[in-house]
Amino acid sequence: MNKSGFREGVGDALPIVLGYLPVGMTFGILARKAGLTSFEVGFMSLFVYAGASQFLAIEMISMGIPPFSIILATFFINLRHILMSSNFSIYLRNIRLPILGLLSAQMTDESYAVAISKLPGVTSRAPYLLGLQMTSQLAWVGGSVAGAFFSSLTEGTGWGLPFALPALFICLLVLQIRNAHHFWVMVIAGVCSVFFKWAIAGNWYILLTALLASGMGMMIERVWRKNS
Amino acid sequence: MRESMLILILGMGLVTFLPRFIPMAFLSRWIFPEKVKVGLSYFPVAILSAIVFPTFFTDGNQVEIQFQYLLAALPVFLFAWKVKSLWGSVLLGMAVYWLLGFIL
Repeated sequence: MNKSGFREGVGDALPIVLGYLPVGMTFGILARKAGLTSFEVGFMSLFVYAGASQFLAIEMISMGIPPFSIILATFFINLRHILMSSNFSIYLRNIRLPILGLLSAQMTDESYAVAISKLPGVTSRAPYLLGLQMTSQLAWVGGSVAGAFFSSLTEGTGWGLPFALPALFICLLVLQIRNAHHFWVMVIAGVCSVFFKWAIAGNWYILLTALLASGMGMMIERVWRKNS
Repeated sequence: MRESMLILILGMGLVTFLPRFIPMAFLSRWIFPEKVKVGLSYFPVAILSAIVFPTFFTDGNQVEIQFQYLLAALPVFLFAWKVKSLWGSVLLGMAVYWLLGFIL
């Protein structure tokens, strides 16, 4: 284990920690409101460790949606990590599988974004990534457990808390809009989701919309490329 | 811990782990087909839109405009777009929603 590489990783994690602590606390508070115990909150943050999926899961739990559908939705949300993980693999050669398992389990959008710009220049890459990602996950687990406890102390009502989740998702959505194609996929998905929710009983509208709208995104891209 | 919650968390953990692990472990030299890449790039936008928009326009399975949600959402869209801050968006959204509660 290379100590300086690990320390450098810990240092680079600080911006991520600043982001994860408050969002983790928000998760803890909302998860308690959805009926999870503080232990379940910490357990989920430790074993799942995926922000958007965890927020979606507690939303679906409070709607009474069964575990299988939640797991399926989680799977689809996290498919995007396939690309990031492939990108990481370029820099992580000759590393034993158990360590690779740990490094990949802790990979998030944020740790990927920070690490991918640093990894080419780092000599001890596994310790660096371990330091970066362990610190980040500690902030996420710690934040969510703190939020869960805080929530049981205050039993927060009002203060706009019902809008915390929608606001978070609006911001996550806006951050994903990087070009005109994304914008139109958002419009299509917005219309489709309202229609499907109205037309089809149950909660299949999220997955139906995701498949249809991303398919439309591919078509839009193909048509626009042909015409340009 | 409740059994259903244990199953849920372990299941979610597994489906989160696999997409993170498998490529790193096995596909390090594989070049993705362009079609797959393009499709995946729209997934986050599509799935997040599907979560966000029904909040404003539906109540259960009925189509019905939710004015408090919709009006609180507009400044959050603008703020998120300009400032790109997750925590700031959450606080602003909560504040506007809370204030709208007095007016509507």
